Amino acid sequence: MQNMFVLIASYLFYGLWDWRFLFLIFGSTVVDYFIGIAIHRENENKKARKFFLWGSILFNVSLLGFFKYYNFFADSFLDMFQLFGYTIKSTWTLQIILPVGISFYTFQTMSYSLDIYYRRIKPTRDFLSFATFVAFFPQLVAGPIERASNLLGQITSKRTFNANQTIEGIKLILWGLFKKIVIADSLAPIVDDIFANYGMYPSTTLILGVTLFSFQVYGDFSGYSDIAIGTAKLFGIELMSNFKFPSFSRNVAEYWQRWHVSLSTWFRHYIYIPLGGSRVSKLKSIRNICIIFLVSGFWHGANWTFIFWGAFHALAFIPVFLMGRNTIYKNTVIGENSMLPSIKEVGQVLLTFGIVTFSRIFFRSKSLTDSFSFIERIFFNFSHEPYVHPSGYRMLDFYILIIVFIVYEYIIRKDERNPFSFKSKYLRFFVYTLIILAMLLFYDDGVNRSFIYFQF
Amino acid sequence: MKKILLKFIVYFFLMLVCLEGLVRVLHLYTEDPPRFIDSYGVEKRVPNHTGYAVTGNRNQNYSKFSINNSGFNSHREFTPSKDKIEIAIIGDSFIEGFHQDFDDSLGNKIEDELKNNIEVYEYGYAGYDMANQMHLIHAYKEDFEKIDHIVLYLNYKSDLGRSEYTPNTGRIAMLSSLLFKLRDNIKLLSYTSKIGILDSFKKMLGENNKDISNTIEGEEAQIEKEELFLNNFKQLVKLYGFDNNKTHILLDSRKTSASFLNYCKENGMSYIDFSEAFEESDSPTTLVYDKHWNNNGRELIASIVSEYFITRSLDTVH
Repeated sequence: MQNMFVLIASYLFYGLWDWRFLFLIFGSTVVDYFIGIAIHRENENKKARKFFLWGSILFNVSLLGFFKYYNFFADSFLDMFQLFGYTIKSTWTLQIILPVGISFYTFQTMSYSLDIYYRRIKPTRDFLSFATFVAFFPQLVAGPIERASNLLGQITSKRTFNANQTIEGIKLILWGLFKKIVIADSLAPIVDDIFANYGMYPSTTLILGVTLFSFQVYGDFSGYSDIAIGTAKLFGIELMSNFKFPSFSRNVAEYWQRWHVSLSTWFRHYIYIPLGGSRVSKLKSIRNICIIFLVSGFWHGANWTFIFWGAFHALAFIPVFLMGRNTIYKNTVIGENSMLPSIKEVGQVLLTFGIVTFSRIFFRSKSLTDSFSFIERIFFNFSHEPYVHPSGYRMLDFYILIIVFIVYEYIIRKDERNPFSFKSKYLRFFVYTLIILAMLLFYDDGVNRSFIYFQF
Repeated sequence: MKKILLKFIVYFFLMLVCLEGLVRVLHLYTEDPPRFIDSYGVEKRVPNHTGYAVTGNRNQNYSKFSINNSGFNSHREFTPSKDKIEIAIIGDSFIEGFHQDFDDSLGNKIEDELKNNIEVYEYGYAGYDMANQMHLIHAYKEDFEKIDHIVLYLNYKSDLGRSEYTPNTGRIAMLSSLLFKLRDNIKLLSYTSKIGILDSFKKMLGENNKDISNTIEGEEAQIEKEELFLNNFKQLVKLYGFDNNKTHILLDSRKTSASFLNYCKENGMSYIDFSEAFEESDSPTTLVYDKHWNNNGRELIASIVSEYFITRSLDTVH
């Protein structure tokens, strides 16, 4: 009964956007449900198991390929011909709507088949629970991408009301809303203006734009994840953490252990490790690193900018890997045993933040030409003028906001699941009030409120 | 479950109280002096109110207003007499001037430029169109007979939509309703309403604020609209009168139709055109977050108006 209710709510939630694509989710659910059973049934027959697994992968990748990448491949193909002097009239490009969240739920259903194939889990015979696992609305459209071993077990069991879990959920929702409304949405008009008119602005403004974009995309996506995790808690479900204060990473490897954790984990488990991970020769490991970053870039969008973004991260990651420093910060945070970070840590964090922020020029630009022009203006057209937003935003407000946000995130850096971990209930109440006040102060009626990661 | 629900309600209520306090302390809300329709059918503010208007997309613009005995935002009382020289400026929110301190208003700047103890009376009220303005002169005939010059501010695109004035009793009744009184007294509600948070609720309640003023499009429709505007103006002149000797229209010729300007010329109606000064200005003339005149815009208007009167030898006209 519980799952029936959640499933109806999930389908209703998705159907309100576009009911036609419910068939896609349902199709993906049915295929992977039966393939999961089939893989398990062919326990001894390795070939058959592989056959069914590839069936699942091909089906899901085809969905992605058609809805997300078809136009990209068609356009790239035409561009390639043009490169050799042939002009082909573009009649291949189709008007395809990208189904919201397709990259997320196809990866989730694929992970189910893969886990059964690798004998990590057994398939469920409960179709209702499986359909709920695929379509669970808090994380359906932008993750966290859950693995069946974590989520499916919780969905198949009966859930009871837990007051503490509910309170934790509400707190996470509040914190997520703060990050979305106050950080992401309020910075959006500034970032949009700078990226849309980068040719008119001096280099310092471009640096400001991409730096603010770093905070915007973090606020937007981590805000969504917190709201999703918090909402799931209200239903008695614990989703995995997706962000662990990535802004405080001390190298690029640590950054990827803290940013979009569910996707990084997915790639590590299902691509990097099966390819041999780091247990093969250095050269092959580097190849594996390149593969996962390129695939990760391509996963984000059908555009060369994302592929370059992935390649840039691979290039930034490889030196860390070669120096053997890719896992040294795995279980620690900045300022682990002290109140303040050391000067060395501050330097590391600033360098990592700088590298990651630089990569976001590719992530945010509409085309590679724009990305390189943007970079060119930063490096070869160095000049400074204070930035004035066309709508008259008082920039000081945003600078103060960002500083306060960084300081607050530093204070709570040890537990991403509990953003209000103060012992005093009066202090907690004070912080809640300030957060809601900030939402009122920075609420902007004219901002497009859709989440950035919905487009992926 | 019961406990958590109770706790949630208590927290929610306490938070609302705190937020109400913070909104008041930080003065995030804007004050809107009450409006009414007087015995002459003129819509204006209730006299003798002072407060602060808060505008800007980050509420960065605080400006003090002071409603005088006549019900208009001004640094002075309106006491027209035959012994002094007075200029009345009538118009909408641009003249009402809630975007600047009342003692730094357009009228004040004109007085400073003209000197000679000339008094400038600002009959500004947000939403006044030409019908409002001409009806006001007609309604307060005795006062305006004593006033030496009248300047009507014309925002061509929005001020000539009707040919006769009828008081907007519906709006006044709505603003006096319990819901609006609540909104004005609960500052948190007033603030959230202002920043648009309550818009979705309003939509749900079926409030439709669709602007129909710009629905007419296309060249033919444009000509039709211009004809309509001109006819409306003619009707207003016929109905309320227009003293060519003392009435002047303040306008931006870039935004006013040629047919209207020609009509004025042909009928001896003088107008003060500020388009050139605005176009030549090196610095912006409007606020960055809305289209009202900023200090530079007001300075320019003040100098154009005063220059206009100086060249026409103001003190010798009457």
